[in-house]
Amino acid sequence: MDIIVVFLIICGLVFFTGGAVGILRFPDFYSRLHPAGKLDTGGALLMMVALALFNLHHFSLATVLTGLKIILIVVFVFLSSPTAIHGIVDAGVRAGLGPWTRGEKRR
Amino acid sequence: MRTLGILVAALTCALLFYAMGDFPPWADPGSAAHTHVSPRYIEKTMEETSVPNAVTAVLADYRGFDTMFETTVIFAAGVVCFFILRLPKKEGPIFRRYRHTLTGMTIRVKCTRKIPPVLEEFEMIDNLWAPHDLIIKTSCRILVPFLQLFGLYVIAHGHHSPGGGFQGGVILGASMILLAISHDLRTALARMGEKVHALLCPIGVLIYAGTGALCLVLGRDFLDYGALAGILHVDPVTARSHGILIVEIGVGLAVMATMIWIYNNISSRGEYDEGL
Repeated sequence: MDIIVVFLIICGLVFFTGGAVGILRFPDFYSRLHPAGKLDTGGALLMMVALALFNLHHFSLATVLTGLKIILIVVFVFLSSPTAIHGIVDAGVRAGLGPWTRGEKRR
Repeated sequence: MRTLGILVAALTCALLFYAMGDFPPWADPGSAAHTHVSPRYIEKTMEETSVPNAVTAVLADYRGFDTMFETTVIFAAGVVCFFILRLPKKEGPIFRRYRHTLTGMTIRVKCTRKIPPVLEEFEMIDNLWAPHDLIIKTSCRILVPFLQLFGLYVIAHGHHSPGGGFQGGVILGASMILLAISHDLRTALARMGEKVHALLCPIGVLIYAGTGALCLVLGRDFLDYGALAGILHVDPVTARSHGILIVEIGVGLAVMATMIWIYNNISSRGEYDEGL
């Protein structure tokens, strides 16, 4: 059990690190939003599932309820985070910001 | 100019660090904050109010007078926004643009100032109109009921976990604001009109102050919820717990209505017609 939890948490940390590096390193607005939307959501999923599993060490009604609440957080993050990123990208397109192409300067 | 700014910032910083010398040491059991009322709150909250969360008990019972005027300040903020921003209804016809959703054709109609009902095949277009995004609309529509449920949970569960009227009210208000952002202001106004939130705002404050006044009428001090024991048919300690819940509901109503009121006035520039 502990091995699975630690494995999931490390995977989640890798996702979060990748997301942070991506936000800093990618060349333009749209590609920077890409790690912000995907990797943070995936990292949150792995971390939350790990926490829910860790919480089930002592199996009782209270811990099951807490685990369910943690899973609910994952569900709502999964709904809202991609939608928010979609809204931001949509606003960028409507404001007339073009995508970055190879050879251009970073912006 | 820049050097001057850095100099001023450094001086302020030095002054603050100098003033920090007067603070009691970190986690000093003899400091003023840890000697007078805190031990009493921590030790007696459970037996005096039967509320497990001491923060809620301190907020709504021991310092209930303070919280009542915090609610009044929020109410005042809503009323001030209303009086500064809200414009009187103008008379005379205006032109509205509609888009036929099937063909994409746009037409211009001369109509009155009153907000017309929602039509099935035509979509109203605002002056600064951008087509609505189906993804955002749909996922916000899914999220809003859960947000409102969570807001109610936060208000009701303030006795046992972090939360209470202020936080729950803000969540409830945010759910309506989310509806206004993802759809448009008229959709949100059709769900909760101007009169409703303008009434709910003072009603929330009235519930709080009324509970206090009721205690006064029943022969105890203002906001001494133990007096409600006779009405609620419970012992005075449980009555304090219930009194806190009643007061939290009032705070939640006032905060929710004020959030929506301020947002509607700012986003529609006081016209309550076209929103963001």
